Amino acid sequence: MLRTEELSKVFRTDEVETTALNKVSFEVQKGEFVAIMGPSGCGKSTLLNILGLLDNPTSGNYYFLNNEVSGHSEKQRAKLRKQNIGFVFQNFNLIDELNVFENVELPLIYLGFNASDRKERVQEVLEQVKIAHRAKHFPLQLSGGQQQRVAVARALVAKPHLILADEPTGNLDSSHGEEIMGLLDNLNQNGTTIVMVTHSVRDAEYAQRIVRLFDGEVINENIKEAVAV
Amino acid sequence: MWKIYIKSAFRNIIKQKFYTFINITGLSIGIACFILIGLYITDELSYDKYHEKAGRIYRVVNVYDFNGVGENSASAPFPVAFTMKEEYPGMIENVVRVFNFQAPRSLVVYKEHKFNERNFFFADSTFFEVFDHEFVEGDPETALNEINSVVITEKAARKYFGEEEPLGKILRFESALNLKVTGVIKDVPVQSHFNFDFIASMASVRNMYGGSLPRTWVWNPCWTYLVLKKKADPEKLEAAFPDFVNKFFYDAEKENISLYLQPLTDIHLKSKLDYEIEPNNSISNIYILAAIGIFMLLIAGINFMNLATATSSGRSREIGIKKVVGAYRGQIIRQFFGESILLTFFAMVLALLIVELILPAFNTFTGKEISLSVLLQPAYIAALILLVLISGIFSGFYPAVYLSSFRPVSVLKGKISKGAKSGLGRKVLVVLQFAISIALIIATFVAFDQIRYMRSADLGFNKEHVIIVPINRTAVAGQYPAFKREIENNANIISATTVDDIFGSAHNTHEFRPEGFPEDKWNFYPALVVAYDFVKTFGIKIIAGRDYNEANKTDPVKGILINEAMVRHMGWENPEASLGKKFKSLQGDERVIGVTNNFNATSLHEAAGPFVLNMKETPGAIMFFTKYLCVRYIPGNEKEVISFLASRWNEYEKERPFEYSFLGDELSKLYKDEENLGRLSVIFTFLIIFIAALGLFGLASFMAEQRTKEIGIRKVLGAGVGSIIRIISAEFIKLVIVATIIAWPISYLLMDTWLQDFAYRTSINYLFFIYAALIALAIAMMITSARAYFASQTNPVDTLKYE
Repeated sequence: MLRTEELSKVFRTDEVETTALNKVSFEVQKGEFVAIMGPSGCGKSTLLNILGLLDNPTSGNYYFLNNEVSGHSEKQRAKLRKQNIGFVFQNFNLIDELNVFENVELPLIYLGFNASDRKERVQEVLEQVKIAHRAKHFPLQLSGGQQQRVAVARALVAKPHLILADEPTGNLDSSHGEEIMGLLDNLNQNGTTIVMVTHSVRDAEYAQRIVRLFDGEVINENIKEAVAV
Repeated sequence: MWKIYIKSAFRNIIKQKFYTFINITGLSIGIACFILIGLYITDELSYDKYHEKAGRIYRVVNVYDFNGVGENSASAPFPVAFTMKEEYPGMIENVVRVFNFQAPRSLVVYKEHKFNERNFFFADSTFFEVFDHEFVEGDPETALNEINSVVITEKAARKYFGEEEPLGKILRFESALNLKVTGVIKDVPVQSHFNFDFIASMASVRNMYGGSLPRTWVWNPCWTYLVLKKKADPEKLEAAFPDFVNKFFYDAEKENISLYLQPLTDIHLKSKLDYEIEPNNSISNIYILAAIGIFMLLIAGINFMNLATATSSGRSREIGIKKVVGAYRGQIIRQFFGESILLTFFAMVLALLIVELILPAFNTFTGKEISLSVLLQPAYIAALILLVLISGIFSGFYPAVYLSSFRPVSVLKGKISKGAKSGLGRKVLVVLQFAISIALIIATFVAFDQIRYMRSADLGFNKEHVIIVPINRTAVAGQYPAFKREIENNANIISATTVDDIFGSAHNTHEFRPEGFPEDKWNFYPALVVAYDFVKTFGIKIIAGRDYNEANKTDPVKGILINEAMVRHMGWENPEASLGKKFKSLQGDERVIGVTNNFNATSLHEAAGPFVLNMKETPGAIMFFTKYLCVRYIPGNEKEVISFLASRWNEYEKERPFEYSFLGDELSKLYKDEENLGRLSVIFTFLIIFIAALGLFGLASFMAEQRTKEIGIRKVLGAGVGSIIRIISAEFIKLVIVATIIAWPISYLLMDTWLQDFAYRTSINYLFFIYAALIALAIAMMITSARAYFASQTNPVDTLKYE
């Protein structure tokens, strides 16, 4: 699905140079559920942004669906992104001015689906995440868990090959958190590749593999057992 | 996709009610003014274009130049038109002359209906071939063929005949001609360089002159129009005019005379000649108004840009998310354009309502008859749509480009949420708005100062407390000496005189041959035909010699008065030295008996030059040139004087109604354009400042909102209201100061250029620059302080908790 080779990201300001990622090499196979863990500031989100084609690395290679994409322009990345990747954020990132249906519909609009196809598809995913009854509500009228379900629905609606989740339960209480993780697990069971950044050991248990980052470097790549460490 | 753009645009508009209100209010006022100015300008530009042959019609202009003194005449001698047609048959398709005996008014009578008509003209039978006027009754091809026939407008028909059938009715003209109505036409469109109610046949004039029209090449009373053939080149025709002058004009004058062609459609905005049929407007006024209209839109558009970018932090997340889920930058840009166009559309709807509401007042104000229905013409609808698109794209451009440039990563990390605070671009725009406002304030001050200057300038004579009564061809003119004696007996009347033009507004030129000039040559000098007590009535000073003296019977035929400028023009040593110099006129050998101070015989657009005051002696000449009675009275007794004059009038003149005006009012009319422009620019400047202030208020509100937390912390730490106001206001005050520095030199240059139009101009008062800056500063301070004051009133506990 995706592979990185010696991926680095350096942020420069006038006075300071910060290395967020330092020669990170790792791979995610199709159908895998990978959790990325590590302390705050270790580069998790930076890595996720690069994997999600929201940002380019400073150096190194990134192969997405076997294509080297590290040098792609914003326009090329946007194209790949909308066709292949769904995002779930910690703070949901729904558009307050659009209702549930419209928020979920958005990726389909940018993919150029026609109205009737969009309606059908949105309805389907809303039912899948059990929020169809709230289709006409606006984000601010929903609980955190419901908002995140909408966000998951939006991530799913274009049937992406890859879902990137950035601390998807970080803003939720435990029962809502479980609900979301259940949803992601379910998706994974059905073949969707998931890469998730998390602080939560409990969430990480859903993953098949955990990648540990520290100071921008991969320090441990393990299956399951690593969780117990 | 558009559906969702529009939907989110709507929801954003509603969410940001306050800023939307500011945007729409500003934009709609801006657009409304732009439309009004646009209507005004298109109306001005449409003059005379309704004639089918408008593009081929030219007026022959006649310039007499005697070493810089002379005239630029809008009219030409009688023979010019048809001689030209004969000389240049390959180029000229048709010609027509328009003539009015150079009489400001003509008495027209039908039964008990008697009126002094200003809009009475005679014209060749080709008139309706050259100019297009719709006939309601009668035949345009034959209507002016016969002697004593007249075509009248529907307005004139109603005025004289009411409901009666006008065709065939007889109108009595100047108690001399019986004119039969042979046609009725629709009223002349307002957009005509001359408006007539009566066009009588030139055959009637020919008949009056005993069978042939005047053959002189000197007297030039005919407004002469040529229709060129379709492929004829006006420049080529003009190039032939020197030969034409050589061939036909009198030898003695040839070298001083030149003829030019003036396009018909240029007359209204570009012609300021002597003897114009009606006063024209000036193209520079149109440019000034157009600039104001564009500034108006610009400032309203800037409000939009500023508020949209300032409030962008609230939308950065939306943009980030859209980009994350796959929106291209172009799609985001389109979305913002969609929003701004939608908002502009609302503003346009509101603007049209505003225009409808104020159009009647605007018409009264500008003397126009613009109807809102012109906006329904396809061209206007297209223009309005274009206006929405252009102003929408213009106002949406900066926000669209700026907001769409957000990188999703930065947005989602929250890097941009407070980034809207600095905004150099916004500062530049605020500076631009204020620079324009300040420049306009200065311009308005200077324009009004110039108008004040023209009104109060020393004209070299006293224009106050003089009543003007038109007496051309009346019994009062016929028995003027008796009438004068009679009215001068009234204790309220100081003196009375007559002139052939309203002194200070217009004059003719007459032929003279001063000492030292060749005997075979006449020179044409600006002159007025006057009567006894002219100098006294107008308060002119005699600086050498003496005035005309009624006791001295040879004065009218032997004596002439000139002004000081004429002494210099002649190269005579000094006023005293010029006394007794020969100054031959058509009446015979005259001599200079007195020299007056210089005076402005026309508007202050032109410099006061050499001038001659002359009296006529023969009864015929006196009758012809006695056009206005001028009466100086004791201030404060206008009413008595007027009713006294009216009662005397009615005893002398049985037919004509008494009319009068004040000299001061007549002279004010010379500056009508400037005053109109001045008043319009005051209103528009006020509105521009209002729109800019509105934008500033929005921006200050936004800043105050942005800094709620900062204000809260400062208050907790002990800051008072004053210091908080200072913090918020200081930034804007700096911008206004920068705007002032930019506006000053620009407005100085612009107004200096504008003033060059006037031969007499006020010096630009530096205080205006200070005033304008102070006004702008005061407005900026008031608005930002008020907003800051409210911000400072919130309880820090609330704001900090909220954060």
